[in-house]
Amino acid sequence: MFDWKLILEAIGMLIYATFMGFIFMGIERKAMARIQRRVGPPIYQPIIDTLKLLGKKESVSHGLIYDFGPVFALGASIAALLFIPIANFQLFSSNADLIVVAYLLEVPSLGIMLGAMSSGNPYSALGVQRGLLTMVAMQLPYGLALIALVQHWGTFKLSEIVALQELHGWSITVPALLLAMIVFDIVFQAMLGLEPFDIVSAPAEISMGPMVEYGGKHAAILFTQHAVQLFAETAFFAVLFLGGASNLLELLIKQLAVLFIAIFIASIYPRFTIDQAAKFFWKWPTILGIIAVLLTM
Amino acid sequence: MTFVDYAIPLLLFIPAVSGVLAWLFDRDIVREIFGLIGGLSPLVIIAITYGKLGDGIKWTVDTGVFKLFFQLEHMSWYLAAVAAVVAAAMAFGMVSTSRSGYEWMFALFSVSGLLGVFLSGDFAGFFLFWELMTFASFMMVLRYNKRASLKYFVLSIIGAYAMLLAIAILYAKTGTLEFQSLRRMVVYAAYGMVPLTKTDMVLVYALFLVAFGVKAGTWPLHVWAPDAYSETNQSYTTFFSGALSKAGAYGFVLMFILLGVKLYTDLGTFRGHPLFTYILAWLGAITVVVAGFLAVLQEDLRKLLAYSSVSQVGYIVLALGVGSGIGFTGAFFHILSHAVFKGLFWLITAALILRTGKTRFEDFGGLAEKMPVTFAMALIAVLSLAGIPPMAGFASKWLIYEAAISAHMPLVAGAIFLGSAIAFAYVVRFLYAIWFGQRPSDLDDVEEAPLPLLIGMTILAIPNVVFGIAPGLVVRFLNKFINTGVAVNSYYSISTGVGTYNALSVALILVVGLAIAGLIYIYGARARRIPLTNTYQSGNPVTEDYNLSMRRNFYRPLAEALEFWLRYSFDRFYARVAKIAEDFADWLREGFYNGNVQAYSWYLTIVLLILALWGVL
Repeated sequence: MFDWKLILEAIGMLIYATFMGFIFMGIERKAMARIQRRVGPPIYQPIIDTLKLLGKKESVSHGLIYDFGPVFALGASIAALLFIPIANFQLFSSNADLIVVAYLLEVPSLGIMLGAMSSGNPYSALGVQRGLLTMVAMQLPYGLALIALVQHWGTFKLSEIVALQELHGWSITVPALLLAMIVFDIVFQAMLGLEPFDIVSAPAEISMGPMVEYGGKHAAILFTQHAVQLFAETAFFAVLFLGGASNLLELLIKQLAVLFIAIFIASIYPRFTIDQAAKFFWKWPTILGIIAVLLTM
Repeated sequence: MTFVDYAIPLLLFIPAVSGVLAWLFDRDIVREIFGLIGGLSPLVIIAITYGKLGDGIKWTVDTGVFKLFFQLEHMSWYLAAVAAVVAAAMAFGMVSTSRSGYEWMFALFSVSGLLGVFLSGDFAGFFLFWELMTFASFMMVLRYNKRASLKYFVLSIIGAYAMLLAIAILYAKTGTLEFQSLRRMVVYAAYGMVPLTKTDMVLVYALFLVAFGVKAGTWPLHVWAPDAYSETNQSYTTFFSGALSKAGAYGFVLMFILLGVKLYTDLGTFRGHPLFTYILAWLGAITVVVAGFLAVLQEDLRKLLAYSSVSQVGYIVLALGVGSGIGFTGAFFHILSHAVFKGLFWLITAALILRTGKTRFEDFGGLAEKMPVTFAMALIAVLSLAGIPPMAGFASKWLIYEAAISAHMPLVAGAIFLGSAIAFAYVVRFLYAIWFGQRPSDLDDVEEAPLPLLIGMTILAIPNVVFGIAPGLVVRFLNKFINTGVAVNSYYSISTGVGTYNALSVALILVVGLAIAGLIYIYGARARRIPLTNTYQSGNPVTEDYNLSMRRNFYRPLAEALEFWLRYSFDRFYARVAKIAEDFADWLREGFYNGNVQAYSWYLTIVLLILALWGVL
């Protein structure tokens, strides 16, 4: 009845992804610090932070939905992760395709917003508003990049996209898909919540936005969620454009490449305001995206 | 003769007759009993006929002048079933919100009208019931707001004349009104055996586009919808927006079935797509985006949902316009899922208005604690509309995505991506402004929604979850009458050849994920409950005197980013045209009826002269 091997793989992958996600967060902080000529925290710092938060003796809550928000976010992140074919592990990817995964990757932010809204803090509300507007702004180029990809490979199934790339070369070797990758990478910056699109949390402006009220174990869950999400999103990128991977090490290298590009961009550019971001997304990335989809038609 | 043979007359007459009875015996309880009989009977009859359709149940009325054909086959059963579910929910809602026999009568008339439209087998019956439905819904709006009803009326009249003209052209050229023979004739016409020319077809196409576009609220004919949907009994809007607007979508389906072949040969193709469907797809895509943006910027709960309705029906039109089997599946599935989630939204609105008497976002807040069951229903509706797997709204949207992308309509598919993000934005506005944040003090004694409304909500909430987890149920039925190209692997899993969606596995893994997260939560320290005013405010103390929730102009930055586009509005354009027409008529009237006897005698002379020249005198 049960496919025990699959379940063990899923559990193993979950542990690995959470751990690596934390390490990615550490790398992000360390690399950013080195670029700014600081020493920076050790790479395992996010794990320590999370354990500390979990160990808090008391946490506060604004009600049921406030508690449910982070839990829902982490649950959705885990679900999204398990539907992506990661390296040589197919996990559950035969049950859901690109559209489902793309949706599942967006659900966590909705969960965080749900919880944040119920806290009654105006900073949270402002963060939610910014988050949704960023989503509205980035969705058009994001969609176009995915459409170009699907049109070129002719399938929505992630495992088939990987297999086709093994046969015909990585997506980015196709000129039209290279454009799509550039578009996707710009949007990716917003998906990770990094500069110049860190409008949602906007540290030192609206006090971390939706996350402002969360502390203690709630924050620990949100940290874990961020780690899983980071791993899933970088893996998603690698699967779509960098030919997937045949083992975890290869995947790790590709994920790190994606991550470092994001970090470098983030450390150069200052933050957009929300209407600037919307206008930007609807101009260059959209134009590039339209060219990409027309080329792949 | 068995019961099933009487199914069609019973379906058509029980709602209307019980509506009249409810109006005649306009007393508490009596009225509600008749109303419930009328509202629930379609669901019962539809349930009984399930699986007994065979080649279709037929019923013919001979009026002497012409015959009316009705039939209940798979497609009309499906649509009638959707209408019946929504009608049942509406009936329960109206038990709570309506105290008037007038409203019951016209609400039930529109149920009869819509069922008649779906069951008609010829254009005569189709048109008659179409008008009954339009008239009844007009009367419902008239009672609440004369101006909104007038707008609806004028646009409906334009639509009705367009349809009448199109039907007249078809009748003149083919000599038949019955769908089956008309379809045959149109195929003959494609071979030149029936004198239906290309010009005729273009004209008929344009006229049908106007006629059905008005009812479906397709851009740029959507302007009546936001006013009409909001200015009526909100329980009735459940049916008005959830089911009645689908008549327009059904009209487009009918156009495809009857005229598709001829339209394809006459209008040709554009970039490999049949032109007539391509236009429809683009109209749908524009509707999705434009109405979506307008929904985001609304400050009134009813207006937001009304625009969102227009936007979601745009998805259906878009999916039909894709023209492939998957597109049709997506369209029919979205007819179902939009009916159930938007119907649910309107019932929630009815409950909110009943309990608070407010409609603007700035007056609401913090109601989640006061109306927990309604809030749970709202959460289901929100998740389904936003298309979160595994809800019904996601399954249908997934099909539309796959259809549009695999039919190589990339820009149309891009509009769907944008539209779904916009949907996220406006449902969150709905969630935040109404249910969360600090509660205005005048809402402190708000109670939970009354039982009949909650029953109505439950009727609509169940399909949202059931058909979300088991999309195969719906697609399997759709496979009976469309060549969908969507394979049903099991009740839970559907696949399109290029993609798969196993709703049960997504649901299960989501539950597992929630369980893992929940475990972390439970094993963490106990959480202490603190009030909403105890939040981080950079050191500023928060008191109850200041309501810190953002309720007005929530999406102001978006309005700023869209400033250029918001300057143009079809609504204002039509208003200006109407004003010009009114001024012109005034000018004519004042010019001719100037009260001068001499002028009147001149008119008389001129008329006599014309008649004399004509040879009448």
